[in-house]
Amino acid sequence: MRLWIYIVRRLIMVIPVVVGVMTLTFLLVSAVPTSDRLASAFGVSPRLSWNQYIPCSRINPDENGTCINPAWVRGTHELGLDKPIPYQWAIYMSNSLTGKWGYVGNDSGVATTVSIARGQPVLTVLGWFLPYTLELAALALTMTLFMAVPIGNIAAVNRNRPVDQASRILSFSGYAIPDFMLGSLMLMMFVLVIGGPNVHSPFCHGQSAYTDFTGSWPPPQCFPNGVYPSWLVMGQISSPTGFPTVDALIHGQWWLALDTIIRIMIPAFVIAYGTAADLLRFVRNSMLEVLNLDFIRSARAKGLPERTVIKKHAGRNSLNVTITVLGLVFVGFLGGFPIIEYLFDLNGVGIMLAYSVTQTPYDYGIIFGSTVLFTLLIVTANLIVDVLYAYLDPRVRLG
Amino acid sequence: MADESEKKVEASQPRRRRRPSPRIDQFRRTWYFFRRNTLAMIGLGILVFFAALFVSSFFYPADPTELTTYVATNGNPVNPNATQQQICTYEPGMGELPPGPNCYATPNGMPSVIAPTVNLHPATLGPLPFGSLTQNPGSAPFYDPFDGLVKGTQWSLTVSVGVVASGALIGILAGVVSGYYGGVVDEVVMRITDIFLSIPGLLLVIIVLAVLAGSVTSLWGRMSYVIFAFVVTWWPTYARIVRSQVLITREQRYVEAAKASGARGGRILRKHIMPNSIYPVFVQMSLDVGTVPLLIAAIVFIGFRLFPVTNFPEWGTIAALSSQPSVLSGFIEVCQSQQGAACTFPWWQFLFPGLTLFLFAISVSFFADGLRDALDPRLRR
Repeated sequence: MRLWIYIVRRLIMVIPVVVGVMTLTFLLVSAVPTSDRLASAFGVSPRLSWNQYIPCSRINPDENGTCINPAWVRGTHELGLDKPIPYQWAIYMSNSLTGKWGYVGNDSGVATTVSIARGQPVLTVLGWFLPYTLELAALALTMTLFMAVPIGNIAAVNRNRPVDQASRILSFSGYAIPDFMLGSLMLMMFVLVIGGPNVHSPFCHGQSAYTDFTGSWPPPQCFPNGVYPSWLVMGQISSPTGFPTVDALIHGQWWLALDTIIRIMIPAFVIAYGTAADLLRFVRNSMLEVLNLDFIRSARAKGLPERTVIKKHAGRNSLNVTITVLGLVFVGFLGGFPIIEYLFDLNGVGIMLAYSVTQTPYDYGIIFGSTVLFTLLIVTANLIVDVLYAYLDPRVRLG
Repeated sequence: MADESEKKVEASQPRRRRRPSPRIDQFRRTWYFFRRNTLAMIGLGILVFFAALFVSSFFYPADPTELTTYVATNGNPVNPNATQQQICTYEPGMGELPPGPNCYATPNGMPSVIAPTVNLHPATLGPLPFGSLTQNPGSAPFYDPFDGLVKGTQWSLTVSVGVVASGALIGILAGVVSGYYGGVVDEVVMRITDIFLSIPGLLLVIIVLAVLAGSVTSLWGRMSYVIFAFVVTWWPTYARIVRSQVLITREQRYVEAAKASGARGGRILRKHIMPNSIYPVFVQMSLDVGTVPLLIAAIVFIGFRLFPVTNFPEWGTIAALSSQPSVLSGFIEVCQSQQGAACTFPWWQFLFPGLTLFLFAISVSFFADGLRDALDPRLRR
């Protein structure tokens, strides 16, 4: 089979998963109280509340003497709540797919902590924050691979020797230490003991990148006159890409790009530590399996140096298996983001989720929006992993 | 007399021992191999300790639904008539002397931070064997983590075992049915597990609870919703594992033989396929028992109200309370305001709750590893 046919087939298999996840969220959304649902779908009503009944002083009573809120009636009609469930489902699906993910509330945790998000469309707000999460994810994934693959290979080559035992301890500890505890210990260590990685900004040179970690980053005093440049202010002016590092480089502020990376270095390490612990065992086991195969024996028999055998012959072949596992690992990987972003006060989709559930009323728009967003990221990652695997290992395409 | 002679006769004859049933036999063999694995035995030992703690936590004489809160007196003697329990403290750095016996020193500027106490003279652990767990180092009230961790054993273990047992039950049923019948059933069940597995567990638990249990405030109501939400997250893993096992098992000769002798589908599933394909689930179950408190900790950490009260005595909650960003920044602020003076790092606040979670997770993981090695003939050494 050609590779592109495989890709198309794999793409078609994505559809039921995405539809299924949206159906699941639809079922859960249906259990949300109607007034909350309307408020999240249409934004906070400027004049009337979204309650079903309102005080009759605001409007003429109907024949029963009760006053039904016209906004409520209009809202339920637009969401199809007065129609059968399949119809509601269809409306929900079309809204989700066309980007109508509702609005951030006025009094939710998100609105009080991130004031620029108040009353904004959910998709817009998540769009501001997604690049930050992706940057963190890219760094963390790189760190994961650079930790897991070499250590796993070394452990497999030195099976049951002290190095292997050490890697086993590393893997167990990564699994058993909650990542927020590792993160908070590292944070305290960096701030109180080491003094923190320093900022390279010309205006606040030498300060610790984590001292100010409860405030916004970078602090305004790092800029001339204490004012943020216009392209940095979230939601004000469209920055070229939305990715903070890339934007800083485009504007020639190399120090800001550097500071941004330094700032997410430790959070990325904490996420990578937990994920690498998972991945390590898979890498080790797949390497062990490959090392027992015949072509390794042939390579050794024809007199190749052990280094070449392990690096070129075994290493590349065991990587195939590692790539398939990456997709599985990715779910747990993204699940760590709300925690780490909340702990280090980083901008990102995860911290939005944390804020949206911290206080009641919950921000249902953000909760469901970030769930769908994370799911899409995971599905995309799985897709990329599968295609990469099929590219590397032709047997998969033929199967 | 007659009895004795009868006994003698019995003893002289060769003892006719019934051969134990194959399942008991297998258990003995597994135990034999398990026993030779040092790490697994260490894991089992720690688990036995936790089991003992679980039983004793029911007899622990304190309110099991809230963390015990103390107030530090900060240089004053203890007032026995105060509404909240008090602990005598003083700040030696400020030139203060202990106002009475059994008074504990607190670091500069942190009146609610007390290091682990050990009373040497009456040879007791003191009021705070694991130190204090403060939410704000500058203010007086704080929690007692030792007390909380002991009380928390019952909640943590109940939730973990409840989640894993019910999740495994659903997963086994779904996996067996989908693996055995195959075809459309298989396809549907597997697509459903795909859906659940592509949502991060943390998010799924949060949305299920936020939507369904928003107005539930009673303790047991809340608890059953928590278990339900975790089960929703957990069952697909088991379904996947069981299915892959069933796919292997159903091709075995004995299943064919059972079919040939006219057994019905239900009987084959119950008697032949299920018992022979659920061993890998035991391994996964024992691993997951340790993971549930970790996930609870993560969810509580980001500020979601999982339990009816914020200071609920549960391991994950205690760990999450100990390292909240606001608490960390409180410590950092006090330290930075002291301008170079030696600053106390309250290690106990992180160490003991973290160690409890760590020991539990690592002991079940050692146990599961040993179990896997003992159950899988290929891995036996």
